Amino acid sequence: MPNTPLISIRGLKKIFTTLTGEKIEALENIALDIYPGEFVSIVGPSGCGKTTLLKILAGLVQKDGGEIKVDKESFDPTREVGFVFQKPLLLDWRKVIDNVLLPIEILKINRASMFGRAQELLELVGLKGFEKAYPNELSGGMQQRVSIARALIHDPKLMLMDEPFGALDALTRERMNLELLRIWREAKKTVLFVTHGIAEAIFLSDRVAVLSARPSTVVTALDIHLSRPRTLNVRTSPEFGKLSMKVYDSLEMV
Amino acid sequence: MRKIFNFIWVRNRTSLTLLGFLILWQLVVTVFRIREFILPSPLSAILHLFFRQPDANYHWIKNISATLFEILIGFTVTVLLGIMIAVIVSWSQLSRRFFIPLFIFVNSLPIVAIAPIILLWLGYGIYTNVLIAFLVSFFPMVINTTTGLNKVDEDLLDLVRYHRGSKWQVLIKIRFPNSLPYIFSGLKICSTMCVVGVIVGEFVASDKGLGYIIINSQFTLDTPPIFAALIVIAVMGLGLFGLVSLLERIIIPWHGSVNG
Ligand SMILES: Nc1ncnc2c1ncn2[C@@H]1O[C@H](COP(=O)(O)OP(=O)(O)O)[C@@H](O)[C@H]1O
Ligand SMILES: [Mg+2]
Repeated sequence: MPNTPLISIRGLKKIFTTLTGEKIEALENIALDIYPGEFVSIVGPSGCGKTTLLKILAGLVQKDGGEIKVDKESFDPTREVGFVFQKPLLLDWRKVIDNVLLPIEILKINRASMFGRAQELLELVGLKGFEKAYPNELSGGMQQRVSIARALIHDPKLMLMDEPFGALDALTRERMNLELLRIWREAKKTVLFVTHGIAEAIFLSDRVAVLSARPSTVVTALDIHLSRPRTLNVRTSPEFGKLSMKVYDSLEMV
Repeated sequence: MRKIFNFIWVRNRTSLTLLGFLILWQLVVTVFRIREFILPSPLSAILHLFFRQPDANYHWIKNISATLFEILIGFTVTVLLGIMIAVIVSWSQLSRRFFIPLFIFVNSLPIVAIAPIILLWLGYGIYTNVLIAFLVSFFPMVINTTTGLNKVDEDLLDLVRYHRGSKWQVLIKIRFPNSLPYIFSGLKICSTMCVVGVIVGEFVASDKGLGYIIINSQFTLDTPPIFAALIVIAVMGLGLFGLVSLLERIIIPWHGSVNG
Protein backbone atom coordinates (compact mmCIF):
# COMPACT_ATOMS: atom_id res chain seq x y z
CA MET A 1 0.00 0.00 0.00
CA PRO A 2 1.36 3.46 -0.89
CA ASN A 3 2.55 5.29 2.16
CA THR A 4 1.01 8.73 1.60
CA PRO A 5 -2.70 8.78 2.34
CA LEU A 6 -4.87 10.51 -0.24
CA ILE A 7 -6.80 11.96 2.66
CA SER A 8 -5.80 11.97 6.27
CA ILE A 9 -8.39 12.88 8.88
CA ARG A 10 -7.45 13.67 12.47
CA GLY A 11 -9.57 14.75 15.41
CA LEU A 12 -12.42 15.81 13.13
CA LYS A 13 -15.25 17.48 14.99
CA LYS A 14 -18.65 18.80 14.00
CA ILE A 15 -21.24 20.44 16.21
CA PHE A 16 -24.56 21.46 14.69
CA THR A 17 -26.70 24.18 16.19
CA THR A 18 -30.38 23.64 15.58
CA LEU A 19 -32.83 26.49 14.94
CA THR A 20 -33.84 26.33 18.59
CA GLY A 21 -30.22 26.86 19.63
CA GLU A 22 -29.69 23.29 20.76
CA LYS A 23 -26.20 21.92 20.16
CA ILE A 24 -25.86 18.55 18.47
CA GLU A 25 -22.41 17.08 18.63
CA ALA A 26 -22.39 14.89 15.56
CA LEU A 27 -18.72 14.05 15.12
CA GLU A 28 -16.61 14.07 18.23
CA ASN A 29 -13.25 12.83 17.11
CA ILE A 30 -12.87 11.11 13.78
CA ALA A 31 -9.51 9.74 12.71
CA LEU A 32 -9.18 7.93 9.40
CA ASP A 33 -6.61 7.58 6.63
CA ILE A 34 -7.70 6.78 3.13
CA TYR A 35 -4.98 5.59 0.78
CA PRO A 36 -4.99 5.96 -2.99
CA GLY A 37 -6.85 3.13 -4.67
CA GLU A 38 -8.40 1.94 -1.44
CA PHE A 39 -12.03 0.96 -0.99
CA VAL A 40 -13.12 2.00 2.50
CA SER A 41 -16.61 1.53 3.89
CA ILE A 42 -18.16 3.31 6.83
CA VAL A 43 -20.87 1.68 8.89
CA GLY A 44 -22.51 3.04 11.99
CA PRO A 45 -25.86 3.64 13.62
CA SER A 46 -28.35 5.95 11.97
CA GLY A 47 -27.76 9.61 12.82
CA CYS A 48 -24.14 9.09 13.90
CA GLY A 49 -22.78 11.52 11.33
CA LYS A 50 -21.82 9.44 8.32
CA THR A 51 -23.42 11.83 5.85
CA THR A 52 -21.89 14.76 7.70
CA LEU A 53 -18.44 13.22 7.38
CA LEU A 54 -18.78 12.84 3.61
CA LYS A 55 -20.12 16.35 3.24
CA ILE A 56 -17.22 17.80 5.19
CA LEU A 57 -14.82 15.94 2.90
CA ALA A 58 -16.65 17.35 -0.14
CA GLY A 59 -16.48 20.86 1.28
CA LEU A 60 -20.25 21.13 1.69
CA VAL A 61 -20.20 21.40 5.48
CA GLN A 62 -17.67 23.33 7.57
CA LYS A 63 -15.81 21.37 10.21
CA ASP A 64 -15.60 22.63 13.77
CA GLY A 65 -12.22 21.20 14.64
CA GLY A 66 -9.52 18.78 13.66
CA GLU A 67 -7.72 18.59 10.37
CA ILE A 68 -8.09 17.05 6.97
CA LYS A 69 -4.90 16.67 5.03
CA VAL A 70 -5.22 16.11 1.31
CA ASP A 71 -2.41 14.86 -0.91
CA LYS A 72 -2.64 17.81 -3.27
CA GLU A 73 0.11 16.49 -5.53
CA SER A 74 -1.90 13.57 -6.78
CA PHE A 75 -5.39 14.84 -6.30
CA ASP A 76 -7.39 18.04 -6.82
CA PRO A 77 -10.25 17.95 -4.32
CA THR A 78 -12.20 20.64 -6.16
CA ARG A 79 -12.42 18.76 -9.47
CA GLU A 80 -11.72 15.13 -8.74
CA VAL A 81 -14.42 14.18 -6.28
CA GLY A 82 -17.56 12.35 -7.32
CA PHE A 83 -20.40 12.41 -4.80
CA VAL A 84 -23.30 10.00 -4.88
CA PHE A 85 -25.86 11.41 -2.50
CA GLN A 86 -28.33 9.45 -0.44
CA LYS A 87 -31.18 10.77 -2.60
CA PRO A 88 -30.85 10.68 -6.40
CA LEU A 89 -31.17 14.50 -6.61
CA LEU A 90 -31.86 14.59 -10.31
CA LEU A 91 -32.97 17.79 -11.97
CA ASP A 92 -36.57 17.24 -13.11
CA TRP A 93 -36.24 19.51 -16.12
CA ARG A 94 -33.26 17.72 -17.60
CA LYS A 95 -33.37 14.53 -19.57
CA VAL A 96 -31.35 11.64 -18.15
CA ILE A 97 -28.35 12.31 -20.39
CA ASP A 98 -28.31 16.00 -19.49
CA ASN A 99 -28.44 15.12 -15.80
CA VAL A 100 -25.39 12.94 -16.26
CA LEU A 101 -23.60 15.82 -18.01
CA LEU A 102 -24.31 18.37 -15.27
CA PRO A 103 -20.85 18.16 -13.59
CA ILE A 104 -19.25 18.67 -17.00
CA GLU A 105 -21.10 21.96 -17.38
CA ILE A 106 -20.28 23.11 -13.86
CA LEU A 107 -16.60 22.27 -14.35
CA LYS A 108 -16.70 24.05 -17.73
CA ILE A 109 -15.50 21.08 -19.72
CA ASN A 110 -16.51 20.80 -23.37
CA ARG A 111 -19.89 19.05 -23.35
CA ALA A 112 -19.77 17.56 -26.82
CA SER A 113 -16.54 15.73 -26.04
CA MET A 114 -18.20 13.98 -23.08
CA PHE A 115 -21.41 12.93 -24.76
CA GLY A 116 -20.09 9.51 -25.74
CA ARG A 117 -18.77 8.93 -22.26
CA ALA A 118 -22.14 9.82 -20.76
CA GLN A 119 -23.79 7.21 -22.98
CA GLU A 120 -21.22 4.60 -21.97
CA LEU A 121 -21.81 5.32 -18.30
CA LEU A 122 -25.56 4.99 -18.73
CA GLU A 123 -25.00 1.65 -20.39
CA LEU A 124 -22.75 0.67 -17.51
CA VAL A 125 -25.48 1.36 -14.94
CA GLY A 126 -27.99 -0.53 -17.08
CA LEU A 127 -29.89 2.43 -18.46
CA LYS A 128 -29.11 2.18 -22.15
CA GLY A 129 -32.06 3.56 -24.10
CA PHE A 130 -33.20 5.88 -21.33
CA GLU A 131 -31.01 8.82 -22.37
CA LYS A 132 -33.97 10.92 -23.48
CA ALA A 133 -36.30 10.07 -20.57
CA TYR A 134 -37.15 12.57 -17.87
CA PRO A 135 -36.34 11.62 -14.25
CA ASN A 136 -39.99 11.43 -13.19
CA GLU A 137 -40.47 8.68 -15.77
CA LEU A 138 -37.96 6.44 -13.93
CA SER A 139 -38.25 4.29 -10.83
CA GLY A 140 -36.35 5.24 -7.67
CA GLY A 141 -33.69 2.64 -8.34
CA MET A 142 -33.18 3.83 -11.91
CA GLN A 143 -32.89 7.41 -10.70
CA GLN A 144 -30.17 6.45 -8.26
CA ARG A 145 -28.28 4.69 -11.03
CA VAL A 146 -28.44 7.88 -13.11
CA SER A 147 -26.92 9.70 -10.17
CA ILE A 148 -24.08 7.17 -10.06
CA ALA A 149 -23.37 7.76 -13.75
CA ARG A 150 -23.42 11.49 -13.04
CA ALA A 151 -20.88 11.11 -10.21
CA LEU A 152 -18.54 9.26 -12.57
CA ILE A 153 -18.78 11.50 -15.63
CA HIS A 154 -15.82 13.75 -14.79
CA ASP A 155 -13.66 10.72 -13.98
CA PRO A 156 -13.09 11.59 -10.31
CA LYS A 157 -10.24 10.01 -8.35
CA LEU A 158 -12.22 9.90 -5.14
CA MET A 159 -15.79 8.65 -4.96
CA LEU A 160 -17.84 9.61 -1.92
CA MET A 161 -20.90 7.38 -1.83
CA ASP A 162 -23.65 7.89 0.72
CA GLU A 163 -25.75 4.74 0.97
CA PRO A 164 -26.05 4.75 -2.82
CA PHE A 165 -27.79 1.39 -3.11
CA GLY A 166 -30.07 1.74 -0.11
CA ALA A 167 -33.16 2.21 -2.26
CA LEU A 168 -32.44 -0.62 -4.68
CA ASP A 169 -33.94 -4.10 -4.57
CA ALA A 170 -31.62 -6.90 -3.47
CA LEU A 171 -30.87 -8.23 -6.95
CA THR A 172 -30.07 -4.86 -8.49
CA ARG A 173 -28.03 -4.05 -5.45
CA GLU A 174 -25.84 -7.13 -5.94
CA ARG A 175 -25.39 -6.31 -9.58
CA MET A 176 -24.46 -2.75 -8.71
CA ASN A 177 -21.98 -4.00 -6.12
CA LEU A 178 -20.20 -6.07 -8.76
CA GLU A 179 -20.27 -3.21 -11.25
CA LEU A 180 -18.90 -0.83 -8.65
CA LEU A 181 -16.00 -3.18 -7.92
CA ARG A 182 -15.31 -3.44 -11.63
CA ILE A 183 -15.31 0.34 -12.08
CA TRP A 184 -13.16 0.76 -9.00
CA ARG A 185 -10.61 -1.79 -10.24
CA GLU A 186 -10.50 -0.68 -13.85
CA ALA A 187 -10.56 3.05 -13.29
CA LYS A 188 -8.30 2.89 -10.21
CA LYS A 189 -10.54 4.97 -8.04
CA THR A 190 -10.50 5.54 -4.34
CA VAL A 191 -13.88 4.96 -2.75
CA LEU A 192 -15.34 6.01 0.57
CA PHE A 193 -18.61 4.15 0.85
CA VAL A 194 -21.27 4.66 3.51
CA THR A 195 -23.72 1.82 3.99
CA HIS A 196 -26.17 0.21 6.36
CA GLY A 197 -25.35 -3.23 5.08
CA ILE A 198 -22.56 -4.94 6.96
CA ALA A 199 -22.30 -7.72 4.37
CA GLU A 200 -22.19 -5.14 1.60
CA ALA A 201 -19.42 -3.24 3.40
CA ILE A 202 -17.28 -6.35 3.89
CA PHE A 203 -17.90 -7.63 0.38
CA LEU A 204 -16.80 -4.40 -1.24
CA SER A 205 -14.05 -3.06 0.97
CA ASP A 206 -10.39 -3.20 1.79
CA ARG A 207 -11.26 -1.70 5.13
CA VAL A 208 -14.45 -1.18 7.13
CA ALA A 209 -14.56 1.69 9.60
CA VAL A 210 -17.17 1.36 12.31
CA LEU A 211 -18.51 4.57 13.82
CA SER A 212 -20.03 4.83 17.27
CA ALA A 213 -23.34 6.53 18.01
CA ARG A 214 -23.37 10.31 18.41
CA PRO A 215 -21.05 11.98 19.34
CA SER A 216 -19.14 9.65 17.09
CA THR A 217 -15.63 8.31 16.88
CA VAL A 218 -14.14 5.54 14.78
CA VAL A 219 -14.46 2.46 16.99
CA THR A 220 -12.63 0.04 14.74
CA ALA A 221 -11.15 0.06 11.30
CA LEU A 222 -11.19 -3.53 10.22
CA ASP A 223 -8.91 -4.76 7.42
CA ILE A 224 -10.67 -7.09 4.99
CA HIS A 225 -8.14 -9.51 3.58
CA LEU A 226 -10.45 -11.41 1.28
CA SER A 227 -8.81 -12.07 -2.06
CA ARG A 228 -9.77 -10.11 -5.16
CA PRO A 229 -11.46 -10.11 -7.57
CA ARG A 230 -14.39 -11.15 -5.40
CA THR A 231 -17.45 -13.01 -6.51
CA LEU A 232 -20.76 -13.12 -4.71
CA ASN A 233 -20.09 -16.57 -3.20
CA VAL A 234 -17.28 -15.18 -1.05
CA ARG A 235 -20.12 -14.20 1.26
CA THR A 236 -20.65 -17.80 2.27
CA SER A 237 -17.02 -18.38 3.25
CA PRO A 238 -16.08 -18.85 6.92
CA GLU A 239 -13.75 -15.84 6.88
CA PHE A 240 -16.59 -13.68 5.70
CA GLY A 241 -18.68 -14.92 8.61
CA LYS A 242 -15.92 -14.15 11.08
CA LEU A 243 -15.48 -10.63 9.70
CA SER A 244 -19.21 -9.99 9.91
CA MET A 245 -19.21 -11.09 13.55
CA LYS A 246 -16.38 -8.69 14.28
CA VAL A 247 -18.26 -5.78 12.73
CA TYR A 248 -21.44 -6.74 14.61
CA ASP A 249 -19.46 -6.94 17.82
CA SER A 250 -17.98 -3.49 17.44
CA LEU A 251 -21.41 -2.07 16.60
CA GLU A 252 -22.80 -3.76 19.72
CA MET A 253 -20.12 -2.18 21.84
CA VAL A 254 -21.34 1.30 21.04
CA MET B 1 -47.59 16.13 -30.44
CA ARG B 2 -50.47 14.53 -28.55
CA LYS B 3 -50.04 17.09 -25.81
CA ILE B 4 -50.48 19.88 -28.31
CA PHE B 5 -53.51 18.15 -29.79
CA ASN B 6 -55.07 17.76 -26.35
CA PHE B 7 -54.29 21.36 -25.72
CA ILE B 8 -56.14 22.56 -28.81
CA TRP B 9 -59.13 20.48 -27.76
CA VAL B 10 -59.11 22.09 -24.31
CA ARG B 11 -58.84 25.50 -25.95
CA ASN B 12 -61.77 24.64 -28.18
CA ARG B 13 -63.87 23.81 -25.17
CA THR B 14 -63.07 27.29 -23.92
CA SER B 15 -64.21 28.80 -27.21
CA LEU B 16 -67.38 26.72 -27.08
CA THR B 17 -68.12 28.06 -23.61
CA LEU B 18 -67.59 31.57 -24.92
CA LEU B 19 -69.85 30.91 -27.89
CA GLY B 20 -72.53 29.54 -25.56
CA PHE B 21 -72.35 32.67 -23.49
CA LEU B 22 -72.76 34.89 -26.57
CA ILE B 23 -75.81 32.89 -27.71
CA LEU B 24 -77.42 33.20 -24.28
CA TRP B 25 -76.79 36.92 -24.32
CA GLN B 26 -78.34 37.22 -27.79
CA LEU B 27 -81.42 35.30 -26.62
CA VAL B 28 -81.88 37.42 -23.51
CA VAL B 29 -81.72 40.64 -25.51
CA THR B 30 -84.12 39.36 -28.17
CA VAL B 31 -86.63 37.73 -25.85
CA PHE B 32 -86.83 40.62 -23.35
CA ARG B 33 -86.55 43.25 -26.08
CA ILE B 34 -83.88 45.15 -24.23
CA ARG B 35 -83.24 48.52 -25.79
CA GLU B 36 -79.99 48.87 -27.65
CA PHE B 37 -78.48 51.73 -25.66
CA ILE B 38 -78.92 49.72 -22.41
CA LEU B 39 -77.63 46.39 -23.68
CA PRO B 40 -77.09 45.75 -27.37
CA SER B 41 -77.17 42.20 -28.63
CA PRO B 42 -73.73 40.67 -29.24
CA LEU B 43 -74.60 40.37 -32.91
CA SER B 44 -75.26 44.06 -33.21
CA ALA B 45 -72.08 44.80 -31.25
CA ILE B 46 -69.95 42.57 -33.43
CA LEU B 47 -71.54 43.93 -36.62
CA HIS B 48 -70.29 47.34 -35.54
CA LEU B 49 -66.79 46.03 -36.02
CA PHE B 50 -67.38 45.17 -39.64
CA PHE B 51 -69.82 47.72 -40.99
CA ARG B 52 -69.19 51.39 -41.13
CA GLN B 53 -71.93 53.25 -39.24
CA PRO B 54 -73.60 56.24 -40.90
CA ASP B 55 -73.14 58.55 -37.91
CA ALA B 56 -69.65 57.76 -36.69
CA ASN B 57 -66.37 56.17 -37.74
CA TYR B 58 -64.59 54.19 -35.08
CA HIS B 59 -61.49 53.30 -37.10
CA TRP B 60 -61.56 49.81 -35.63
CA ILE B 61 -58.45 48.54 -37.33
CA LYS B 62 -56.38 51.48 -36.17
CA ASN B 63 -57.71 51.34 -32.61
CA ILE B 64 -57.55 47.59 -32.21
CA SER B 65 -53.98 47.46 -33.45
CA ALA B 66 -53.04 50.35 -31.15
CA THR B 67 -54.36 48.47 -28.14
CA LEU B 68 -52.94 45.14 -29.25
CA PHE B 69 -49.54 46.71 -29.77
CA GLU B 70 -49.60 48.30 -26.33
CA ILE B 71 -50.65 45.04 -24.72
CA LEU B 72 -47.87 43.11 -26.40
CA ILE B 73 -45.23 45.71 -25.54
CA GLY B 74 -46.57 46.10 -22.00
CA PHE B 75 -46.62 42.34 -21.49
CA THR B 76 -43.12 41.82 -22.87
CA VAL B 77 -41.67 44.67 -20.83
CA THR B 78 -43.38 43.46 -17.66
CA VAL B 79 -42.25 39.89 -18.13
CA LEU B 80 -38.63 40.75 -18.86
CA LEU B 81 -38.34 43.41 -16.17
CA GLY B 82 -40.31 41.25 -13.74
CA ILE B 83 -37.92 38.33 -14.14
CA MET B 84 -34.87 40.59 -13.92
CA ILE B 85 -36.21 42.24 -10.79
CA ALA B 86 -36.97 38.83 -9.28
CA VAL B 87 -33.39 37.70 -9.91
CA ILE B 88 -32.05 40.82 -8.19
CA VAL B 89 -34.53 40.48 -5.34
CA SER B 90 -33.77 36.84 -4.71
CA TRP B 91 -30.02 37.26 -4.98
CA SER B 92 -29.60 37.95 -1.28
CA GLN B 93 -31.55 38.12 1.93
CA LEU B 94 -30.72 41.81 2.17
CA SER B 95 -32.19 42.75 -1.20
CA ARG B 96 -35.29 40.70 -0.40
CA ARG B 97 -35.81 42.65 2.81
CA PHE B 98 -35.44 45.92 0.97
CA PHE B 99 -37.38 45.33 -2.24
CA ILE B 100 -40.39 43.25 -1.25
CA PRO B 101 -41.93 45.89 1.06
CA LEU B 102 -41.30 48.50 -1.62
CA PHE B 103 -43.17 46.42 -4.18
CA ILE B 104 -46.02 45.79 -1.81
CA PHE B 105 -46.26 49.55 -1.37
CA VAL B 106 -46.24 50.30 -5.10
CA ASN B 107 -48.69 47.50 -5.80
CA SER B 108 -51.18 48.81 -3.27
CA LEU B 109 -51.30 52.30 -4.80
CA PRO B 110 -54.65 52.81 -6.57
CA ILE B 111 -53.61 52.90 -10.19
CA VAL B 112 -56.50 55.11 -11.29
CA ALA B 113 -55.26 57.73 -8.84
CA ILE B 114 -51.66 57.77 -10.04
CA ALA B 115 -52.46 57.43 -13.72
CA PRO B 116 -53.05 61.20 -14.10
CA ILE B 117 -49.62 61.86 -12.60
CA ILE B 118 -48.01 59.47 -15.04
CA LEU B 119 -49.86 61.25 -17.81
CA LEU B 120 -48.47 64.52 -16.55
CA TRP B 121 -44.95 63.15 -16.65
CA LEU B 122 -44.97 61.11 -19.84
CA GLY B 123 -47.76 62.71 -21.83
CA TYR B 124 -50.20 61.00 -24.19
CA GLY B 125 -49.07 57.84 -25.87
CA ILE B 126 -47.68 54.41 -25.60
CA TYR B 127 -45.17 55.08 -22.79
CA THR B 128 -47.88 56.06 -20.37
CA ASN B 129 -50.01 53.04 -21.16
CA VAL B 130 -47.14 50.60 -21.03
CA LEU B 131 -46.01 52.00 -17.70
CA ILE B 132 -49.52 51.70 -16.29
CA ALA B 133 -49.76 48.13 -17.59
CA PHE B 134 -46.43 47.43 -15.92
CA LEU B 135 -47.50 48.91 -12.59
CA VAL B 136 -50.71 46.91 -12.62
CA SER B 137 -49.17 43.57 -13.52
CA PHE B 138 -45.53 43.42 -12.38
CA PHE B 139 -46.32 42.28 -8.85
CA PRO B 140 -47.57 38.74 -9.55
CA MET B 141 -44.71 38.32 -12.01
CA VAL B 142 -42.05 39.34 -9.48
CA ILE B 143 -43.55 37.47 -6.53
CA ASN B 144 -44.07 34.24 -8.48
CA THR B 145 -40.61 34.28 -9.99
CA THR B 146 -38.97 35.12 -6.67
CA THR B 147 -40.82 32.25 -5.02
CA GLY B 148 -39.69 29.87 -7.73
CA LEU B 149 -36.07 31.01 -7.52
CA ASN B 150 -36.02 30.51 -3.76
CA LYS B 151 -38.11 27.37 -3.42
CA VAL B 152 -35.36 24.96 -4.28
CA ASP B 153 -34.52 21.74 -2.51
CA GLU B 154 -31.33 22.84 -0.70
CA ASP B 155 -29.77 19.46 -1.44
CA LEU B 156 -29.92 20.20 -5.17
CA LEU B 157 -27.65 23.18 -4.62
CA ASP B 158 -25.03 20.81 -3.19
CA LEU B 159 -24.72 19.33 -6.69
CA VAL B 160 -23.24 22.59 -7.90
CA ARG B 161 -21.47 23.55 -4.71
CA TYR B 162 -19.34 20.47 -4.34
CA HIS B 163 -17.81 21.24 -7.71
CA ARG B 164 -17.18 24.77 -6.43
CA GLY B 165 -19.69 26.14 -8.93
CA SER B 166 -20.46 29.86 -8.75
CA LYS B 167 -23.60 31.52 -7.47
CA TRP B 168 -24.30 32.41 -11.09
CA GLN B 169 -24.13 28.73 -12.09
CA VAL B 170 -26.50 27.89 -9.26
CA LEU B 171 -28.88 30.47 -10.70
CA ILE B 172 -28.63 29.31 -14.30
CA LYS B 173 -28.47 25.56 -13.78
CA ILE B 174 -30.76 25.12 -10.78
CA ARG B 175 -32.72 28.11 -9.56
CA PHE B 176 -33.97 29.46 -12.88
CA PRO B 177 -35.19 26.18 -14.39
CA ASN B 178 -36.68 25.32 -11.01
CA SER B 179 -38.67 28.55 -11.14
CA LEU B 180 -40.16 27.99 -14.62
CA PRO B 181 -43.47 26.51 -13.41
CA TYR B 182 -43.81 29.48 -11.05
CA ILE B 183 -42.88 31.90 -13.82
CA PHE B 184 -45.62 30.46 -15.99
CA SER B 185 -48.27 30.85 -13.34
CA GLY B 186 -47.04 34.44 -12.97
CA LEU B 187 -47.26 34.89 -16.74
CA LYS B 188 -50.86 33.74 -16.75
CA ILE B 189 -51.93 36.25 -14.13
CA CYS B 190 -49.78 38.91 -15.73
CA SER B 191 -51.26 38.32 -19.19
CA THR B 192 -54.79 39.24 -18.09
CA MET B 193 -53.73 42.07 -15.79
CA CYS B 194 -51.64 43.64 -18.54
CA VAL B 195 -54.75 43.92 -20.69
CA VAL B 196 -56.56 45.64 -17.83
CA GLY B 197 -53.61 47.99 -17.34
CA VAL B 198 -53.49 49.05 -20.97
CA ILE B 199 -57.24 49.72 -21.08
CA VAL B 200 -57.05 51.75 -17.85
CA GLY B 201 -54.22 53.73 -19.43
CA GLU B 202 -56.30 54.42 -22.49
CA PHE B 203 -59.21 55.56 -20.35
CA VAL B 204 -57.11 58.13 -18.61
CA ALA B 205 -54.76 59.21 -21.29
CA SER B 206 -55.15 58.36 -24.90
CA ASP B 207 -56.31 59.51 -28.26
CA LYS B 208 -56.63 56.03 -29.65
CA GLY B 209 -57.22 52.44 -28.65
CA LEU B 210 -60.20 50.45 -27.41
CA GLY B 211 -60.22 52.18 -24.03
CA TYR B 212 -60.47 55.46 -25.89
CA ILE B 213 -63.44 54.15 -27.90
CA ILE B 214 -65.21 53.12 -24.73
CA ILE B 215 -64.77 56.50 -23.07
CA ASN B 216 -65.77 58.31 -26.24
CA SER B 217 -68.89 56.26 -26.87
CA GLN B 218 -69.94 56.75 -23.30
CA PHE B 219 -70.31 60.48 -23.97
CA THR B 220 -72.52 59.90 -26.97
CA LEU B 221 -74.53 57.07 -25.37
CA ASP B 222 -73.55 54.92 -28.31
CA THR B 223 -73.57 51.59 -26.51
CA PRO B 224 -72.90 48.95 -29.22
CA PRO B 225 -69.29 50.04 -29.88
CA ILE B 226 -68.60 49.83 -26.12
CA PHE B 227 -69.65 46.21 -26.15
CA ALA B 228 -67.84 45.59 -29.40
CA ALA B 229 -64.69 46.92 -27.76
CA LEU B 230 -65.29 44.77 -24.66
CA ILE B 231 -65.64 41.66 -26.79
CA VAL B 232 -62.40 42.43 -28.62
CA ILE B 233 -60.64 43.07 -25.30
CA ALA B 234 -61.88 39.74 -23.93
CA VAL B 235 -60.67 37.95 -27.05
CA MET B 236 -57.25 39.58 -26.71
CA GLY B 237 -57.00 38.59 -23.05
CA LEU B 238 -58.00 35.02 -23.84
CA GLY B 239 -55.62 34.91 -26.77
CA LEU B 240 -52.67 36.05 -24.70
CA PHE B 241 -53.54 33.63 -21.93
CA GLY B 242 -53.83 30.84 -24.49
CA LEU B 243 -50.47 31.72 -25.98
CA VAL B 244 -48.86 31.54 -22.54
CA SER B 245 -50.47 28.16 -21.86
CA LEU B 246 -49.27 26.83 -25.20
CA LEU B 247 -45.72 28.00 -24.48
CA GLU B 248 -45.95 26.34 -21.08
CA ARG B 249 -46.64 22.96 -22.65
CA ILE B 250 -43.75 23.37 -25.04
CA ILE B 251 -41.19 24.78 -22.62
CA ILE B 252 -41.82 22.72 -19.49
CA PRO B 253 -42.99 19.32 -20.73
CA TRP B 254 -41.37 17.74 -17.66
CA HIS B 255 -43.75 19.56 -15.38
CA GLY B 256 -46.70 17.30 -14.72
CA SER B 257 -49.33 19.60 -13.26
CA VAL B 258 -49.80 21.86 -16.25
CA ASN B 259 -53.33 23.20 -15.99
CA GLY B 260 -55.47 24.82 -18.64
N1 LIG C 1 -27.78 20.88 9.03
C1 LIG C 1 -27.98 20.28 10.22
N2 LIG C 1 -28.44 20.99 11.27
C2 LIG C 1 -28.62 20.40 12.46
N3 LIG C 1 -28.39 19.12 12.71
C3 LIG C 1 -27.94 18.35 11.71
C4 LIG C 1 -27.71 18.88 10.41
N4 LIG C 1 -27.24 17.90 9.61
C5 LIG C 1 -27.20 16.80 10.38
N5 LIG C 1 -27.59 17.06 11.65
C6 LIG C 1 -27.63 16.12 12.76
O1 LIG C 1 -26.38 15.51 12.87
C7 LIG C 1 -26.52 14.13 13.12
C8 LIG C 1 -25.77 13.33 12.08
O2 LIG C 1 -26.49 13.42 10.86
P1 LIG C 1 -26.07 12.59 9.57
O3 LIG C 1 -24.66 12.91 9.22
O4 LIG C 1 -27.08 12.83 8.53
O5 LIG C 1 -26.18 11.09 10.10
P2 LIG C 1 -26.14 9.72 9.31
O6 LIG C 1 -25.85 10.01 7.87
O7 LIG C 1 -25.06 8.91 9.97
O8 LIG C 1 -27.46 9.05 9.49
C9 LIG C 1 -27.98 13.82 13.20
O9 LIG C 1 -28.37 13.78 14.53
C10 LIG C 1 -28.61 14.99 12.50
O10 LIG C 1 -29.88 15.26 13.06
MG1 LIG D 1 -26.98 9.68 6.18
